[in-house]
Amino acid sequence: MRRGSIIQLTAIGLVAGAICTVVALAIPWLPVSAGQEADRIHFVFWFTTVICICVFSVVAAVLIYSVWKFRAGPDDDSDGPPTHGNTQLEIVWTAIPAVLVTAISIVSAIVLAQNGHAGTNPLIIKVDARQFAWKFTYPNGKSFGFLTVPTGRHVKLDITSEDVIHSFWVPQLSQKQDAVPGQHNSIVITPTRIGTYPVICTELCGLGHALMRSHINIVSPAGYATWVKQGSAASAGPPGLAVFQQNGCGGCHTFKPAAATGKVGPDLDNLAQLAKQAKRGALDAFIEESIVKPQAYIQPGFSDAMPHIFGTQIPPDKLKQLVQYLAKGP
Amino acid sequence: MTDVAHAHDPHAAPPAPTGWHRLTAPGWLRIMWVTPIFFGIGLGLPVLLRYLAGWDPVWKGSVLVTVELVTTPIGFLVGLGGFDYWAYYASGRPTRVEDHSGHGARSWRDYFRINTDHKVIGIQYLVTTIFFFCVGGLFALLFRAELAQPGDQFFNPQTYNVLVSNHAALMIFLFVIPAFAGLGNYVIPLMIGAGDMAFPRLNALSFWLLPMAGLILIVGMVTPGGGPSAGWTCYAPLCSHQPLGQVFFNMGVQWAGASSIMTALNFLVTIITMRAPGMTFWRLPLLVWANFTTSLLVVIATPFIAGSQFFVMFDRVLHTNFFEPAGGGYVLGYQHIFWFYSHPAVYIMMLPGFGIISEVVAVMSRKPIFGYRLMALSLMAILVLGFSVWAHHMFVAGMAGWLRVPMMVTSMVIAVPTGIKIFSWLATMWNGRIRFTTPMLFALGFLSMFVIGGLSGIYLASVPIDIHASDTYFIVAHIHYVLFGGSVFTIFAGIYYWFPKMTGRMYSERLGQLHFWLTFIGFNLTFFPMHYIGLQGMPRRVADYAHRFADINLFISIASFGLGASTLVFLYNMVNSWAHGPRAPGNPWRALTLEWQVSSPPPIFNFDELPQVVGHPYEYGVPGARHAIFGAPQPTPVQSEPAGAD
Repeated sequence: MRRGSIIQLTAIGLVAGAICTVVALAIPWLPVSAGQEADRIHFVFWFTTVICICVFSVVAAVLIYSVWKFRAGPDDDSDGPPTHGNTQLEIVWTAIPAVLVTAISIVSAIVLAQNGHAGTNPLIIKVDARQFAWKFTYPNGKSFGFLTVPTGRHVKLDITSEDVIHSFWVPQLSQKQDAVPGQHNSIVITPTRIGTYPVICTELCGLGHALMRSHINIVSPAGYATWVKQGSAASAGPPGLAVFQQNGCGGCHTFKPAAATGKVGPDLDNLAQLAKQAKRGALDAFIEESIVKPQAYIQPGFSDAMPHIFGTQIPPDKLKQLVQYLAKGP
Repeated sequence: MTDVAHAHDPHAAPPAPTGWHRLTAPGWLRIMWVTPIFFGIGLGLPVLLRYLAGWDPVWKGSVLVTVELVTTPIGFLVGLGGFDYWAYYASGRPTRVEDHSGHGARSWRDYFRINTDHKVIGIQYLVTTIFFFCVGGLFALLFRAELAQPGDQFFNPQTYNVLVSNHAALMIFLFVIPAFAGLGNYVIPLMIGAGDMAFPRLNALSFWLLPMAGLILIVGMVTPGGGPSAGWTCYAPLCSHQPLGQVFFNMGVQWAGASSIMTALNFLVTIITMRAPGMTFWRLPLLVWANFTTSLLVVIATPFIAGSQFFVMFDRVLHTNFFEPAGGGYVLGYQHIFWFYSHPAVYIMMLPGFGIISEVVAVMSRKPIFGYRLMALSLMAILVLGFSVWAHHMFVAGMAGWLRVPMMVTSMVIAVPTGIKIFSWLATMWNGRIRFTTPMLFALGFLSMFVIGGLSGIYLASVPIDIHASDTYFIVAHIHYVLFGGSVFTIFAGIYYWFPKMTGRMYSERLGQLHFWLTFIGFNLTFFPMHYIGLQGMPRRVADYAHRFADINLFISIASFGLGASTLVFLYNMVNSWAHGPRAPGNPWRALTLEWQVSSPPPIFNFDELPQVVGHPYEYGVPGARHAIFGAPQPTPVQSEPAGAD
């Protein structure tokens, strides 16, 4: 190779690398990190990105240079030089990628081990996923439809599902774990940044999957202690609202008082009118039947898609609260 | 479709049947009455058995559908004549003497029957798969319209999930995998100097399973109660409790899988036993190497997806408990079995494309393939490694914790043979005399897009990054860079490259280049932003999403419509050039491989004279080098009998 072409090739590679670096830095690719695990995962991400930019720049340089320099003219019928291979070169481009992926593997394995470390005194929270709601149960036995955790403490989530596979993800914490029926999986999160972030189901779990959302409040240790003390009053508003949220009604139904926007099932803002059409007794009785035995009457235009589990799932007192809450309407 | 009159056709069309024979001869008239009989059997048998056993209800949808989806396609194939020869043979009746009347195409009608000519079958495959490509693409445009704004606009979540699931199923099982089978079917026997495939009747049957599979998947979408909506991966236990349409999905995959296995067996036997004299394995074109390794993958892996789909169907129909936690089933067992096929399937959808790119890059750069042996060996390395990485799809699934790091390492290591291929193609182009024809443009498009897809694959192989990115739009972006920027670009490269050989006509270069640029730009505008929204927190398979992703999703949707429109240019070019394009010479690319040494389209039995292979297939620039000579004295022809007792 001539010296001139080496310089040109290098120049193209540097330009390509510079463009990639600008794209990598100018766009906020990753969400803000809110936990130690996310910090480490972001490190692996950027470590990999540096290597990938180098590899991409080399490939781009050779490709662009070839397209630019080795174009055959319209009447050029000649062949190129019959090069069949070059053992040294082939060893180099086998060995270098092998070294690079080994480096990424080692960094990844170390971070994976660190991210699984829960310390000696983790806060253990049980996570129950169900179509289409999350339930978080604290060591004191209290359950909520959302998650509240303190900063600076390892939190171990013990995740399972009651029906199909779901997946727990908080983008700002970067940790994700499938909730599998009949099996307990766990992940560790160590929150560092105070704020409220979304909890997203990332495994297709049925019709309400897109709305199977909750949130995580990351609070200071003092704030957490206060929250635990006032735990039972945690959800402001009528008691029925908590039942509504814990059971994921909003995954399928619209109900303005609960800010629920699901469209899989009938609109609960119109319950009074629906009950009249259904002619299945008084409003309260109709609502209760529709929750406990949804297959008994199916609103025209909808299918028998509502789980039949709520009759056994919701204790009688909570059911009463929920019925009252829904009957009150918007 | 115009008639493709093969040169040197020594055989007359089969005598047209007369009178009653019109109804009993294989063909569409026989389909008209045989299929209903098999339909009746599929309906009557379960109903009768349930009635006799006193089971209630006598009409049970899932049972009937399951049995029907076995009997009705068999009825169709019986009517079409797919089993005639074997049925005669098995029943001890005299078999019809092979007069080759079922070989070759004299008019467009010959494409709509059992045809034993690998060239006809190749075109049957390609036209069928492009049809399903358009249907699958249309589904994508429909759900991109839905995704243009957050909230529900056009489709409810059920319809949306059905569209997403079938988009993937059609693209994978009815487009990418069989499109490669179609190209391989057409090209492989020609490339190795064989008269046809080893088992022409099996070849014909394996094609006709495919439209059946596609029809089953599409009909399944409109079944009462709703179509299959559990994603193409249809994870248990969600998919065991889906509406009736899910059974169509489970069974459709079986028919497509059976077709795929039959073709792969046929490729293997053909490549092993029917190479022309002198065609050693180290003289095989890399496309043949690629299809050889792919066929091994198909034969070993496909039974696993068949198993996974049968098991979930049994859980539903027979109330077994393979994956039902309440009955002691192992939920993650489904994913292990499914991915034990579906990861190798990624290579089933990629290796034949590597073969196509090797052909196109060497010919269009006018240089020998750089490091031929290492190119072939890296295919074998991918084949072996491909079976040791499946669980990287399950890093967040909650499988045995110790499996994660080993599976990460094997997944990373696959980058090495893949890198060898990329660098060798670049080295092949280096110092070449590159001609930027449409196939070469698609090859270059493939190279650049596949590098991006490969690098995002490195991110996903790393367990910590995968934990963040799994099941988000980052995955959607990655698989489209690999399967669209990868596989689909290579399919386009292959179609343009062999179009003159298949049709005897040249495509329009101007439209071909327009198609490339529209596809390339539309593709990047559609899929590159998905990396960003995925990492930021948008999960996949959702009809509704957070408002902060609204603008970027609108952008993606608009770009996807442009990408969809680019296909119209392709279709117009193909149809118009096939009908009116200028006549193609036998070897428009001045290539050395054997398929270009015969007329375009080739003679009905491919070679009027048996070729004697004397050298390597890519000796461009080597003075006086020959790949094969024709008319040399033949000692004992290897493939004097074109068909065994298949």
